[in-house]
Amino acid sequence: MSTIIQTEGLTKVYGANGAAVHALRGIDLTVGKGEFVALIGPSGSGKSTLMAILGCLDLPSTGTYTLDGHQVQGLSGGELARIRNEKVGFVFQSYNLLPKASIVRNVELPMLYAGVGRRERRERAMALLEKVGIADKADKLPGTLSGGQKQRVAVARALANEPALLLADEPTGALDSKTGAEVLDLFRELHRQGNTLLLVTHDPSIAAQAERRVEIRDGLIALTEGVA
Amino acid sequence: MTTSGAFRERLFGAWVEIRENLGRSILQALGVLLGVASVLGGFSISDSQRKRADQMFVKMGGLDKLNIQPKAAVRDGQPTALQQANLGLRDADAIGGEALKADAIQGVSRQKNARSRVVSAYGDQDRQISGIGGDFIPANGYAVAQGRGFSATEMDTGAPVVILGTEAAQTFFPKGDAVGQTLRIGAIPVTVIGAFEERVFRFREGQRNQFWWRNRIIAVPANLVQRRMNGDAYRRVDRVSFRIPDMAVMGAFAKQLSDLVKANHRLQEDFRLDDVAARIRRRNSQGDVYDIIFMLSGVLALVGGGIVNVNIQMAGLKERVREVGVKMALGASGREIFKGFMTEALLLTALGSLAGLVLGIGFSWIITKSLGIPLYMTPASFVWAYGLAAAFGFLFALYPAWKASRLSPMEALRYE
Repeated sequence: MSTIIQTEGLTKVYGANGAAVHALRGIDLTVGKGEFVALIGPSGSGKSTLMAILGCLDLPSTGTYTLDGHQVQGLSGGELARIRNEKVGFVFQSYNLLPKASIVRNVELPMLYAGVGRRERRERAMALLEKVGIADKADKLPGTLSGGQKQRVAVARALANEPALLLADEPTGALDSKTGAEVLDLFRELHRQGNTLLLVTHDPSIAAQAERRVEIRDGLIALTEGVA
Repeated sequence: MTTSGAFRERLFGAWVEIRENLGRSILQALGVLLGVASVLGGFSISDSQRKRADQMFVKMGGLDKLNIQPKAAVRDGQPTALQQANLGLRDADAIGGEALKADAIQGVSRQKNARSRVVSAYGDQDRQISGIGGDFIPANGYAVAQGRGFSATEMDTGAPVVILGTEAAQTFFPKGDAVGQTLRIGAIPVTVIGAFEERVFRFREGQRNQFWWRNRIIAVPANLVQRRMNGDAYRRVDRVSFRIPDMAVMGAFAKQLSDLVKANHRLQEDFRLDDVAARIRRRNSQGDVYDIIFMLSGVLALVGGGIVNVNIQMAGLKERVREVGVKMALGASGREIFKGFMTEALLLTALGSLAGLVLGIGFSWIITKSLGIPLYMTPASFVWAYGLAAAFGFLFALYPAWKASRLSPMEALRYE
């Protein structure tokens, strides 16, 4: 099993000297291809910081991070953007769809940044919308969709460039329990198809859906349960 | 990136953004619009004015004349003591001048004026008499409307014949039958052989005729004035004009002519040379001042609009931080974000400029209409107006776009 995420001694310090906040204090984490891992921890534990670094939105202060064979630490902003584009698919709690672009355009966006041609972009976006079951809404604006539908669009968008890692940050946080369960079903289905999933949550019942749970506390990995 | 039609996508995105924030976009475009309109309007008005002036000079008989006149007695026929001693401007100067560049000179006209009592059955006035020689009539934009012009023999012999301008004809022969009648100039009876076309030029509609005084002309052969009215043994003249269509030759010729006449006049500069083209150049450079003023006011409008734009865009950016964050999370580089904002600003500038051009045309049309001069616009004005707007639009878009591109993706995503 090849590894998707490999970190060694990852730290993150905000601020300088006296007022420094140590958000991460040395994280060693390995996630293999096709795994479904839940990252849990209370707020302020550093899990959001870890997620940002794993998603290449931010760089670690020290330590190494290898994502699907690419060294991440020390990359420039442009190179990070490229890695995010090719390797990471984000699903956010608040969906983060562009409100002025149609559903299909939202899904096309990562492919646009990747330089995928117009026609192929449209075809793949439609196929993805089909996959998450809302192809009929392709030309609608996000504002007209329900929360569950929006999250499905976000999932479709996250899958656009066939990323190595699907990173979901509290994906059911804004949904009622029924639609939340549906979205989790979708994630399980994606996992079954071989996608690597990292789910960030503070809800133990949601984390229980994952194969493996990694708990962060005070910037360190406190506990790992499930198969590694 | 370009192969995927990214530019078209950016353009589309920019268009959506502009359409969705119509009020803000219109405010942003307003500065550009006014700037473009004022540059274009200013240039067009000054161009129209200039064009009209050119038309006037053409009607005066063309720009290709070099005049030489006695210095101290430009209007009056009496030579000064100095001119007496130096023989003054005379036929010899005209003949010598023509010999200098015979191939380039298309015509030489002489003028010898006199003041005299003019009497007909209907009028009795003290008038200026223009003794004309050479091709004076075409060179000064006159044309014979009734009767005929002077024959070569009449010119040579100084025959007692006269051609009247419309005002003169009206004054002395109000019944309109001037041709064939006799007029007394001083003691000399002269026959009216023709009448000139009326000369009319109004700089603006409704303005008085600027050429009215040209209709007062009472033209006789120069030799008649020289021999029987106001002449002297040296055959002095009041003005010699050389007609040189080739402007390139004009400058060198003026220098040579000046040297020749100076030599003829015992090295005294008792004459004045002026070429009409130089006057035009002076007038044109006066127009340049207006152009600069208009351009400056346009530039100020563009700068003002630009600063307003920066403010609006910075305020707009606050609302869009999250959007930028999302785009970055999806893989948009800072460069891509920068391009997106620039595209939006430049599209807005382009649209504002187009509206500004339309407004500028309307603006110039109204002003020139109210001035009563025909509207004349040059492509250069459009290029200037559009170019300035594009340059300032670009310049003022840089800062907000740069600011947006420098956002940290994580902070932008968390921005509420």
